[in-house]
Amino acid sequence: MTFGRNPYLTGILVAGVCAMVPILRPDDLTILGVGFLTFIFVTQAVSWNLVGGFAGQVSFGFAAFFGTGAYVTAILWSHAGWDPILTLPFAGLAAMVVALLVGLPCFRLSGPYFSIATIGVGEAARVIAINLDNITGGASGLVLPFNVPEKAWFYRAGLILATITFLVAAWIRRHRFGLALFSLRMDQSAAESLGVPTALFKNLVHVVAAFFVGVSAGLYVVYLSYAHPDQVFGFDLSIGMVLMNVIGGIGTLWGPVLGALIYFPIRQLVLSDPRLVAVNLLVFGALLILIILFEPGGLLGLLARAGIVARSGLRLAQPAEKRPE
Amino acid sequence: MSETLLRIDHVSKRFGGLVAVNDVSLDIGRGEIVGLIGPNGAGKTTLFGCVVGLIRPTAGTITFEGQRVDGLSQHAVVRRGICHSHQIPAPFPFLDVRDNIRVGASFGRRRAEAALVVDRVLVRTGLEALATTPARNLSVGNLKLLELARALATGPELICLDEVGSGVTPVELDRILQLIRDLNAEGTTILYIEHNMRAIGAVCQRVIVLDFGQKIAEGTPAEIGADPRVIEAYLGAPIGAGG
Amino acid sequence: MLDWSNVSTLAVAAILTAGLYATMSFGLALVYGVMKIINLAHAATMMLAAFAVLSLNRAFALDPIIGSIVILPLFFVAGMTLYSVAVRRVAAVPIASLLLLFGTWLVAQNAAYLIWGSEDQSIVTPYTYSTIDVLGLHIAVTRIVPFVMSFLMLGAMRWLLGSTDLGRAIRAVSQDPTAARLSGIWPERTAMIAFGIGTMLSAFAGGMFTLIFSFTPDFGGVFQLKSFAIIVLGGLESFLGVALGALVLATIESFSILIPGWRASLVNLLAFGLLVIALVVLPGGIASLIARRTGRAVQ
Repeated sequence: MTFGRNPYLTGILVAGVCAMVPILRPDDLTILGVGFLTFIFVTQAVSWNLVGGFAGQVSFGFAAFFGTGAYVTAILWSHAGWDPILTLPFAGLAAMVVALLVGLPCFRLSGPYFSIATIGVGEAARVIAINLDNITGGASGLVLPFNVPEKAWFYRAGLILATITFLVAAWIRRHRFGLALFSLRMDQSAAESLGVPTALFKNLVHVVAAFFVGVSAGLYVVYLSYAHPDQVFGFDLSIGMVLMNVIGGIGTLWGPVLGALIYFPIRQLVLSDPRLVAVNLLVFGALLILIILFEPGGLLGLLARAGIVARSGLRLAQPAEKRPE
Repeated sequence: MSETLLRIDHVSKRFGGLVAVNDVSLDIGRGEIVGLIGPNGAGKTTLFGCVVGLIRPTAGTITFEGQRVDGLSQHAVVRRGICHSHQIPAPFPFLDVRDNIRVGASFGRRRAEAALVVDRVLVRTGLEALATTPARNLSVGNLKLLELARALATGPELICLDEVGSGVTPVELDRILQLIRDLNAEGTTILYIEHNMRAIGAVCQRVIVLDFGQKIAEGTPAEIGADPRVIEAYLGAPIGAGG
Repeated sequence: MLDWSNVSTLAVAAILTAGLYATMSFGLALVYGVMKIINLAHAATMMLAAFAVLSLNRAFALDPIIGSIVILPLFFVAGMTLYSVAVRRVAAVPIASLLLLFGTWLVAQNAAYLIWGSEDQSIVTPYTYSTIDVLGLHIAVTRIVPFVMSFLMLGAMRWLLGSTDLGRAIRAVSQDPTAARLSGIWPERTAMIAFGIGTMLSAFAGGMFTLIFSFTPDFGGVFQLKSFAIIVLGGLESFLGVALGALVLATIESFSILIPGWRASLVNLLAFGLLVIALVVLPGGIASLIARRTGRAVQ
């Protein structure tokens, strides 16, 4: 725990401050749009951290959940004529199903091997989506209706989603479920030997994380009125979620939030400047390398080193306890 | 000896061509402290693994309180009431002592009263002073105590101890042995693998000896200490005569 | 259309491709065996090697086979350098080394895009379209050559691991670094050399690939996944396991075109599907992988 003793209170306070924005600047569409997208990224980062940080299972395949949620919303909305807001829980649910399908086999692999298996997951989802072109519109994407709410609505919806996700993360961290996740991250076998049903819990947290990612995707796609496999299943999304957490501090509560706040503007900058787009992978790759080499605890790790906050989170700098076999 | 708590019935375990445990049968009664000894490679650890859910026996059954437990996962076995401590301590390094114990208390048989259990176990094992110390900073002796404390917190009927006497000073060992006796006095059954014969002699009511995967002797510490087969296979001298 | 001609053509193609798959996977298996980390820069290595061979071909009209051999020392050194500069510092923490290598992959990919662009590249040689007649089948020369070269390379590796001091050191460190150290072997140096060799093998495979496929800077990723699926499937105990895993994957891929409604773009999903199946079914190859990591008994 870093900023204060009560994360719930701090979280709600921060959310409250953010909620002021549409009241004070109701006509500033730019800030409302940027705010909305930031909240989407915060939701993604916090959700990913539940699995990658709390449980220590670093996944490179979360784009699969985002894309699933996006397309469920897109299809129910454009093909079946649903009210987009009603589709959101189903977007989350569909993402949960995919998470279960991925997690049940992949969590049998431990640590790094799980991570590599997940690299294929997002890509597999993307390829499948492109090939199901009669449903998904394939490689040309799916254009969606334009009768969407105003930007202020999206801002508030995004804020609510991000806040709820954060509060859930805070609750898990305090609850014994979070303790179990941390314990299985440090030593899965020891956790098992104390009664922690590790396979069940890994899948459970995976599914919870996928839900929020799926819902955020639904909102995103309604906002854009467009869905395309490369965009919503893109590997850059998966990398982004990992990177946001590495930047902020994997396994901490506020790390993903800070990481999203830092990553999002960098990403927007890089993707909008034609010269920089060509080096976007370079930028992110270099960032990843430098952080891992010099401050694996990310921003919060830096602050902890400076004594400003208490140290917490996944220790990338310290060797995992290795017992002789 | 009262009712049978754990029944190991003709259990064998094969690893490819190697037979680690060969048709072993033994019973442990409720409230007993039973020792399991034998040379290295005798199959003690494998048998132990079968009881606690680490290993699935190739043949035979293991019954606890009347229900089959062989083949169950470790956490399911803990829920049934069997827990174990590791020979080489496996603490959660970045959690403090209290949180380490809290894991056991939260997912064992006594999950509802976790906070109470943690406090009680801390006092019992003498670790209260170290409650907020990160586990990675503990000495070996305290790590062994922590192992014991975590296992205790799960509220077991049967505790399986794996060489808790190794790597600790005689004073620390005496403390652990006293704890074992106290637990037993409260009704907890204990299965104890050990190489330290002094420890075995000090607490065990009954001792079982394995060699090459088979049970070669069973009896009180005095009886097996005098058993020529055991002396030849393992002891070299009667129990209690040395350390 | 399951007639002899079709089936045998597909089977032969599978075997030939398997040789190449085995080479690339063995590099990954070697690094894992010694350092217990999966080299995510494997993809980058294959890709850069392919582009290096391309450049040599463009600049000096160097045949890709010769090119693949010429670049080997370069990649050996590059692998050792990457290890000493970066991987060694985080090798004790698997996730950190994973992320580091992953970052390296991203950087390498981008560098390739900047230097060579994103269009499909391919190398055409005088023998690109020639075939040899074997038992009534026409086999492309470009498929036989990599197979033969891979065979030779794997043979060389087997000799290295089995009969040389270095090989014994590598095997010792794979089994028990502490015991190896006590025997006078220096684990870090051995790991560095093993990383260099593993990189070299990946590079060789990458170079050979240019004979068969066209490529862009992101082609490495697919082969990273395939290599991983192969070593998970085949186990790490021997290069025979890896070879078998490679054969299984190559065969499934080759015969997949017989599936009705199949699309070529789906072929890369097969490796992933195979990985999932292998995980669910838990054959012996996987058990050793898991047992090492969780440090507990094999079920």
